[in-house]
Amino acid sequence: MKIMLKIMVMLLISAVTLSVQASPEKDLEVFHKYFKQKFPDVETAEFANGVYAFDMAGRENWEAIEEFPPYEPYIDDGQVMWETPFKNGKTYMDCFPDGPVIAHKYPYWDKKRKMVITLPLALNECRKAHGEKPLKYKKGDINKIMSYLAFQARGKTVNVIIPKDDPDAMAAYEEGKKFYFTRRGQLNFACAHCHFQNAGLKIRSEMLSSALGHTTHWPVYRSKWGTVGTLHRRFTGCNKQVRAKPFKAQGREYRNLEYFLTHMSNGMIMNGPGARK
Amino acid sequence: MTIKQIFILILVCLGLCANTFVIASTDKSQAEAAIAAAEKARKKAGSVSGEWRDTAKLIKKAKGALKEGNYEKAMQLAKKAEHEGKMGYEQALAQQKLRLPAYLNY
Repeated sequence: MKIMLKIMVMLLISAVTLSVQASPEKDLEVFHKYFKQKFPDVETAEFANGVYAFDMAGRENWEAIEEFPPYEPYIDDGQVMWETPFKNGKTYMDCFPDGPVIAHKYPYWDKKRKMVITLPLALNECRKAHGEKPLKYKKGDINKIMSYLAFQARGKTVNVIIPKDDPDAMAAYEEGKKFYFTRRGQLNFACAHCHFQNAGLKIRSEMLSSALGHTTHWPVYRSKWGTVGTLHRRFTGCNKQVRAKPFKAQGREYRNLEYFLTHMSNGMIMNGPGARK
Repeated sequence: MTIKQIFILILVCLGLCANTFVIASTDKSQAEAAIAAAEKARKKAGSVSGEWRDTAKLIKKAKGALKEGNYEKAMQLAKKAEHEGKMGYEQALAQQKLRLPAYLNY
């Protein structure tokens, strides 16, 4: 009887979900360990290729597509955008003196403004500062300049820093993490249900990608969209797919989500823009 | 069949048909009240970031049906939207605390 009781208690403890506030470094360690156990034959660096790290049939098609990538025209157009002066004669280089190799520096925590700054947000702030109309954050020209900048940063290493001495930065990271593991929508799914728990399995005909490496290859030419789209466009789509009302692109929720999600890919090589189904 | 049995049978039939009679007699004010309740539930869900994708659409359709004079349809859509609003609110409250899945070994 005592043994049965002990077994039941142990089962109960293991079934109960955890509520811990681990450090971002500990999170990284735990997440990497989880995916390594789930996909023992996949090298960590390969996760930057998304679902094609383990969807071998899909990978063959993807590699063929990469011979003549559909995002190439967007890179070319993006370069024109980058190099074309604003009406006031200034260029993006006046806002980004290190440009155009800058995409790997985003997102980052702005201590003074107490917010996560993403590259699309920074680009639009540059445009506004020079009297230009901001670009829309999901569709359109933002994807051209983002494709160019992603391509320029290819080969750079993801390195999102969560400053230890700034509790607001930690709060933003934790908010992103909470978002990721929170059930939402009529279908009651959290991001983690697809991209942790069921990564590698199929939803209808498509294999689910893992959270690890998710952000390295954006923006992405999605065959479904017939064009390049931003990461926040995908966040919107995913939220709609679980029948939740999506949040505003480049609003606080999605920027913090990007902060958390990109940190998870720390150490991986940036390889955007990408091509996906 | 006796008169008593017939009487009981009629009562049972009326009871089964009660809902039908209620829906069929939905008037404009009832439909408007249902839409208002749905909108209130939608906003409440939104206040905790728990609004579902289709709730606003359902309310819009209910308003369209109301405008067309189809009060029954307006009521049904509004009730569905109200339910979604309530569920979204409950869901968001239930998800307020971060719970990491047990398969992550901390």
